[in-house]
Amino acid sequence: MSPDAVGNGALIPFSGETNDSLAVYPLHHGLARPISRVALSWSRGNSLRVSLFAEPSGSFDTGDGAKVIEVKLGGGDPEIDDADWRRIAYGSVAPFALLQSRRNSLSALSKSSYHLDWWEHVLQYSKDISSLLTGPKLAPNPIIEDPNEIVTKNEEPTCLKAAWELMEIFYVDKQSQAWLPEKLVDWLADYDSLFTSTQETIHGKLVDFQNDLVNIQVIEDDPRYWEVMSSALSVGWLDIVVKMLRLHGSYQIDQLSKRELENGLVEAVAVLISKMPRLRPESAAGNLGECFKSKPDFTKAWEKWRSQITKLDCSPYWIQCDNQQTREGLRNMLQVMLGNTENLCTASCYWIELYVSHFLYIRPFTTGIESMYNLAQKCIQLKTPTGTHRLTGLMIGILAENTEVVIAEISREFGPWMVAHAVELLTSGSEEAEILLHDERYNLGGISMVELHRLAYAQVLSSHALTWQIAPIYLTSCMKQGMGLLENLLYRQSVQHNNLLLKNIEICRLYELDHISSNIMKVAGVYHWKHGRKGAGVFWLQQSQDTNCLDRIAQQLFDSVGKSISDESFKQWEGLIELLGSESKPAGGLEFLHKYRDFKKSLQMVYSGKSTDAARQALMKNPSTPQRFWLPLLFDSLKLLNWKDSPLLSVSETNLLLNKLQELSLARQRPHFTEPNLPPQALSSIRLALATNLGRAILDE
Amino acid sequence: MAATANSETSQIHRFHQYKYVDAVRWLPVLSAFNRFAVLATSDFDSNLSFIEIHSFKPNPLSFDFQSSWTSPSPISSLKASQFLQNSIIAATTSSGSLHFLFADSTDATLQSEVSVPENELHSVSETCIDLMDGGVECVTVGDDGKVNLVTVGNSNLNYRRLFDSGGLVSYTAVKWASPVEFATGGYGFGLHWWDQRKPGGPVSQFKGNWDKNLNSGIVHSIDIHPSRKHTCLAGGSLGTVLAWDLRWQQQPIILSGTGAGDGAGNSAVQSISESEVWEVQYDRCIKSNTSSTRILPAMICSEDGILGVIEQGEEPIELLAEPCAINSFDIDQHNPLDVICSLEWESVAILTRQ
Repeated sequence: MSPDAVGNGALIPFSGETNDSLAVYPLHHGLARPISRVALSWSRGNSLRVSLFAEPSGSFDTGDGAKVIEVKLGGGDPEIDDADWRRIAYGSVAPFALLQSRRNSLSALSKSSYHLDWWEHVLQYSKDISSLLTGPKLAPNPIIEDPNEIVTKNEEPTCLKAAWELMEIFYVDKQSQAWLPEKLVDWLADYDSLFTSTQETIHGKLVDFQNDLVNIQVIEDDPRYWEVMSSALSVGWLDIVVKMLRLHGSYQIDQLSKRELENGLVEAVAVLISKMPRLRPESAAGNLGECFKSKPDFTKAWEKWRSQITKLDCSPYWIQCDNQQTREGLRNMLQVMLGNTENLCTASCYWIELYVSHFLYIRPFTTGIESMYNLAQKCIQLKTPTGTHRLTGLMIGILAENTEVVIAEISREFGPWMVAHAVELLTSGSEEAEILLHDERYNLGGISMVELHRLAYAQVLSSHALTWQIAPIYLTSCMKQGMGLLENLLYRQSVQHNNLLLKNIEICRLYELDHISSNIMKVAGVYHWKHGRKGAGVFWLQQSQDTNCLDRIAQQLFDSVGKSISDESFKQWEGLIELLGSESKPAGGLEFLHKYRDFKKSLQMVYSGKSTDAARQALMKNPSTPQRFWLPLLFDSLKLLNWKDSPLLSVSETNLLLNKLQELSLARQRPHFTEPNLPPQALSSIRLALATNLGRAILDE
Repeated sequence: MAATANSETSQIHRFHQYKYVDAVRWLPVLSAFNRFAVLATSDFDSNLSFIEIHSFKPNPLSFDFQSSWTSPSPISSLKASQFLQNSIIAATTSSGSLHFLFADSTDATLQSEVSVPENELHSVSETCIDLMDGGVECVTVGDDGKVNLVTVGNSNLNYRRLFDSGGLVSYTAVKWASPVEFATGGYGFGLHWWDQRKPGGPVSQFKGNWDKNLNSGIVHSIDIHPSRKHTCLAGGSLGTVLAWDLRWQQQPIILSGTGAGDGAGNSAVQSISESEVWEVQYDRCIKSNTSSTRILPAMICSEDGILGVIEQGEEPIELLAEPCAINSFDIDQHNPLDVICSLEWESVAILTRQ
């Protein structure tokens, strides 16, 4: 892509041939002069950093010469923002890690990767994840119930949660396999509102009607009242329908006497609706309908219920009812309950609603995914979708039992988090899916699809400063490439801030990556050293046991010691010398500093008139003393050499020191010799003192 | 294993903040009805940092945002104290500036701010501060090796440098012991004792013979109990918590730590954590049976997600075990049963002990 500057200052990309998929986004940079150069680089997350350089100009007051703009790519998920995605990412770590450790302990027990009760673990995992996907809580319900409120909701539904629960229903929840159709009924009741964005829905119609309710005088005269009710009935929202029926005008006390028969019919339908038999274990507390666990019981109740409806439908009372709207509306509802295909088709808005109404009123015994898929295709034919919704593609993929389509759909619609976590659901019950997803593939570079999607998700986590710490959990579950990428990730973190550095080292410790933590500490040590924090630098280099580096910086340190350690500034060095500890730790040549400090201290004791023995020992027992310190050391100990009472050093000791002095004089001739910062007569006075001491020592012996 | 406090003895509330929480403190206020918490937060999406005041109500449960102040860069150290009618919040930033915020004592609205610009006290580095209880003296230390004393007035402030190690020694923790004395912590578990009456450097250095039986680490936090000024409690790397008694300088009392390993006399030490101990405070809920010779119970929070109480010679008690790091915590001065802590995963937890 080569950018071109156009007249108005906007950058547009152009390519040789016309390409329909090319998108042009105007970029407002506010540079006055034409742009001469553009640099692109990745910034945090999926932001692109665009640096724009204006053409150089002769005068100074023509505005800025360059601008850096961050462009956020991809609008992200419309219903979940970045911060909320992070909340979900944090929350899913524990369930994911628990499931992986359970898988590992199970596969350690037996060779087979397929376990009968494995789905129970996955169900637990699925419920944990699902609880994270709840949208923001809405205000709690008012304590006084609004009699006109038909639709209530406790939380804002999200497509993400709807998709997750759909997969849970089909792939994981083996216990409810027998009443799968009823699970779909519940699912639609929770998430029908989500489809309102792309098409008309029963939920949308209900909400519209509720909003108009205050303006309607006689509710049963409004055709929408009856329309909305048979729609809600068709998808099994029994509570709502019964509640709406009770709003019928014939229930009002002043009308009751006049419209006794009409009211009787309304109430009869309401009772029938609330007695509807359902093939399911139990419904949520307070929900209408009668639940039957076993098929024979249900069949008996179902036949009885239908015969009651037919009986009511043929009843002579309808002729006596003089309210035409009520009569027609109620009989229409009876047709819905009897499973009249035409009525169901008009009552529902789109194919999933029609699909659910088939389960409820026509084929309550539908079992097996294949027959469910056939029914879905029939419904799609009856209600051709006008637009596509992100959930319908997923649903068709699941019903068609096509794992690859499901993966592709959730990947496109919900991103890497979804795929990395939903894979566990897909493989929970099906060996075929397990083989498909866990098989290592040549075209993926020898890794499985599961690993590929986990790695992709880990990359997303790694690119953000707040989530990189959880990427290792996913990387370590990838057998082939995980560890390599983990090492990369750990190396890439900044060493500038101690907290971050320590968190990084802690991850190394958890995964036993000692060689990496050692390298990171080395980098940190050099970083601190370079920025003048000598103590911190020495500490980290010691931690990484890098004797090479320590030796090198020891030489630099000696240079400053030779100049500054004199007397007063010694307080500053104290702390560093404490840090070095004793020689059992690798400190390069630095342990000398420790001894030098001890020597200085003992000299001070001598000056204050205390024992001289310690100082003498400190002077003589330092084989590791760097050559450059010989002269300053000897100069410091002049007082010892000239000790009044008796010679402190023996003949052999004095000879040793004289030899050293001789060696030093020779060394001075060589290049690279650094002259210590001492008074000019220092050498001669040391030589004199040593000679005097030698003389006295010979006499003594 | 540490004993776990069961849910009957404490209530835990978590509040997701949707931004990183750098540090957290209770705000000491006079009002009996309101409880306020100070949060230092960083919003990584907008690159802004804040000091926020939230009000906490246990019943009905709420943790509501009250007011905030935008900081020039992320907060590296946060302290709160009370002075006359005001609550003072002191904070240093990662760019080296120091800020004092004054909040109304009853409704915690932020009223004014005075600050020392960057590079005056510390060059760009990590810093730590401590605010004197009920006072206006603040000591700041940094890993650049500088030690400063800042005195706050109503609208002005004075500061002077007490010491500059020139980077040879870095300081990572500080705590007042008395109006003239304070303790600092640094690399290699180094602890220094300072006395303003004896300027020119630390008056005492802690010399444990670490290298024999302890791996070295960094001190992250220090606490000193007002009734026992001679004992300095420090927490740091490798789950280490130790008490340094000025009267027996050569022997630290190790309360926890994996580094203690097989050292003589430390074999009985149980470790509550194996990773960084980010903060340590004396637990203000003092039990009556604590004898005067023992170290008072201390609360810690750690990188491996533990909030717990350790007591010399007792089994440690875990109050919280989170899947992520607990980076800081604070015990409410007026109601020591309440503990607030900041979690790595952009949230705050409030623990109410029974």
